Amino acid sequence: MRLLRGALLLLGLPTVLFGLWWIASADSTSFYFPPLQKILAEFAETWTAERWRADVLPSLARLGAGYAASCVLGITLGLLIGRTRWLLHLTEPVLEFARAVPPPVLVPVIMLVAGIGDTMKTAVIVSGCIWPILLNTIAGVRSADAVQLDTAAAFGLGRTRTLTSVVLPAASPRIVTGMRQSLAIGLILMVISEMFAAQSGLGFAIVQFQRSYAIPAMWSGILLLGCLGVALAALFNLFDRAVLHWYHRMRERSA
Amino acid sequence: MLEADGIGRDYRVDGQVLTAIDSLTFQVAEGELVCIVGPSGCGKTTLLRMCAGLLTPTRGRAAVDGRTVDGPPADTAVVFQEYGRSLFPWMRVGANVDLPLRRLGLTRAERRERVAEALALVDLAGRERAWPWQLSGGQQQRVAIARAVAFRPRLLLMDEPFAAVDAQTRAELEDLIRDLWQRLGVTVVFITHDIDESVYLGQRVLVLSSSPTRMRAEIHIDLGEERDQLGTRSSPEFAKLRGAVWKEIQAAKRKPDE
Repeated sequence: MRLLRGALLLLGLPTVLFGLWWIASADSTSFYFPPLQKILAEFAETWTAERWRADVLPSLARLGAGYAASCVLGITLGLLIGRTRWLLHLTEPVLEFARAVPPPVLVPVIMLVAGIGDTMKTAVIVSGCIWPILLNTIAGVRSADAVQLDTAAAFGLGRTRTLTSVVLPAASPRIVTGMRQSLAIGLILMVISEMFAAQSGLGFAIVQFQRSYAIPAMWSGILLLGCLGVALAALFNLFDRAVLHWYHRMRERSA
Repeated sequence: MLEADGIGRDYRVDGQVLTAIDSLTFQVAEGELVCIVGPSGCGKTTLLRMCAGLLTPTRGRAAVDGRTVDGPPADTAVVFQEYGRSLFPWMRVGANVDLPLRRLGLTRAERRERVAEALALVDLAGRERAWPWQLSGGQQQRVAIARAVAFRPRLLLMDEPFAAVDAQTRAELEDLIRDLWQRLGVTVVFITHDIDESVYLGQRVLVLSSSPTRMRAEIHIDLGEERDQLGTRSSPEFAKLRGAVWKEIQAAKRKPDE
């Protein structure tokens, strides 16, 4: 019963929305809004194994590389800045400024420096993904409990062990929050970076379809992007539960 | 063993210098159990943090085994009041107790043995796999004590460790501390605001004045080595000593500058 209710909550609204879309578009003769039936038929035809290899996988690879680099850089720098008082004061205004700049406007600039290849696209993803991770890591490190840090110091844990066994786990709930925000940003930037001077990728494919008036194929690409977003979010939830199981269970307990 | 030599600490608040601890001098001998009491706000925790090497004194010095404390001294363990914040919620009980042992160069088997032994000593045998937040407050403080015990310190500093547990648990934990102290031969400095607790636990009670803190009195507790919650606490000697400490604290509250 609970399982049924869960499934209903999860799939209910998407099913209803798809149903509405299906019905509303069934008799559509509009060139730009073809029937959903036609889009789905196009979906099967468009996203063949060949397309996955040529466009989807390269996109995901760049997203993966950019996201991984953002995580490593963001967490490392965040730990460093969060643990060093003068560095924090020094970087705080700069970080706020950098975060406020919308990453897409950086694309032409990054193109100048990094060319138009994979490096550019990965750099665009990093330029947007790193901020939530970095700022959340800093905040997480700053919020590490004073008694926990005193305990680590009193037992002489040393810098490295204090960092890995105390500071990092203490900051991990905030870090994961930042990583979640970054994942959504990364997906958007993956598409945007491929709309500029690209030869492959999902964003590139969608723009191509649009420019060649292959409207059902374009819609199918948008649909695929949405599905990828859902799949990535689901994967992230698994990661969240694996890393922060102690945190969720502790909070369930105190709730 | 532990020695405070004119130790003092000032705080700067809004450009003004406030003297929290004026000057304290005392010695704790090897194997002794000394309680430190004082009115609230007299800087007990500040004193403990200076002895533990977590805070630098403004004046004077603390020394362990004759060596000036300028960082957490070796062979010293601390039990804090806030067990909920001193245990790491992302580690199971066993890992919490194990963490300080990792730098001692022991083998995995030796560490596992020490953890099991320490947990058994605090009546939590076999609870390695539990999470701290699955335990009651008293049990959590037991884990913190086990963590200190497994470390095998020569000096154990305790900062109002039982202030946040209920009265019954508190009595049990007090007996546990006396028991561990006698069994392990460790030197214990126990900070508390509870007069009865200080008399029940200590061989000696140091009474602090209110801030700016100085040593107000030193009272020897000649209640013998064997103590129990019922007999000891209802004995006339206990009442007399308790009265003596109480009087000093009251006087300290009235005349902070004396």
